[in-house]
Amino acid sequence: MNVIGYGMCVIGAALGIAIAAFAVANSMARQPEVQSRLFTVFILASAFIEALCLIGFVVAIM
Amino acid sequence: MGEAFEEVSNEMDELIESFFTTPIFGDKNIGFTVTMFWFLLACIIMLIVVFAYKKKTEGTLVPHGVFANGMEFIVDYVRDDVCKGALGDSWKRHFPFLATVFFVVMFGNYIGMLPTWKAGTGTTGVTGAIALMSFIYFIAMGVRKKGAFRYIKSLAPEGLPAPIAAIVWVIELFSTFLRLVTLAVRLFCNMFAGHVVMGVFAIMTTTFVAPMINHFSAAALGTGAMSILWMVLLLLIYVVELLVSFIQAYIFTLLSAVYIQLAEAEGH
Repeated sequence: MNVIGYGMCVIGAALGIAIAAFAVANSMARQPEVQSRLFTVFILASAFIEALCLIGFVVAIM
Repeated sequence: MGEAFEEVSNEMDELIESFFTTPIFGDKNIGFTVTMFWFLLACIIMLIVVFAYKKKTEGTLVPHGVFANGMEFIVDYVRDDVCKGALGDSWKRHFPFLATVFFVVMFGNYIGMLPTWKAGTGTTGVTGAIALMSFIYFIAMGVRKKGAFRYIKSLAPEGLPAPIAAIVWVIELFSTFLRLVTLAVRLFCNMFAGHVVMGVFAIMTTTFVAPMINHFSAAALGTGAMSILWMVLLLLIYVVELLVSFIQAYIFTLLSAVYIQLAEAEGH
């Protein structure tokens, strides 16, 4: 049951990171000169999304 | 093979058990726990490094050597990216606090990356304490800037009709206290989960290589070769964790800076 719950939690995080990566790739193609700034924003956003997923992981194994 | 998986499952339980903090003396409520020891060690190392840096750059404006330049890069990074980026003009007043938070969290994270050492920030007690500091700090800054009554009132944006303002105020009050929880839980979960994943790969490596050491045969060689794959994965996760340790310190500091800025902001 825990594992199923964690799997569902991963779906959300995967979608979130996928959308972020999609948007960043798009913006980089349009405006290559802001690449470094966009990368920071992307890493930051991914970390926020990932944190939700990790909370699920910790709750699942506890 | 079935035996091996049972062994893995047993070792998994042992591994997860080992990440929960245990008291050295006293009990968990009043006493000295393992995580506290590592956190204290991280703080001592941090103080030594920071004061060594200060001594090295005393009397000169130009940093010499790898150590001084590396430290200056990190300090500049916190100052320019976090403080100036999030706070704007008032960065100078908050820079000492934010830099302290950044270094405490960063050393707490990195101390766990050394083999057999444990992360100082690997329990909700420690992360909760750091989050509480930053929570108290940003509320104090808001109160100092606006006065207690005006700060409490300013949780809801101005210009709303009275009934809606009341609802928004309650929601904002709730989310203010939620910040304390999310700051603490985010850091704790990242450290805890990262170490568990690394531990699992380490267990897999040893379990797959064990039959080859016990009695050598062609089948054992096959599983032994597979342990190289786990080893590579372990190293990859290790590199990711090195990155995550830094990013988590950065996010913790950045969010503290954003909360300070929100508390001090005039109007919306």
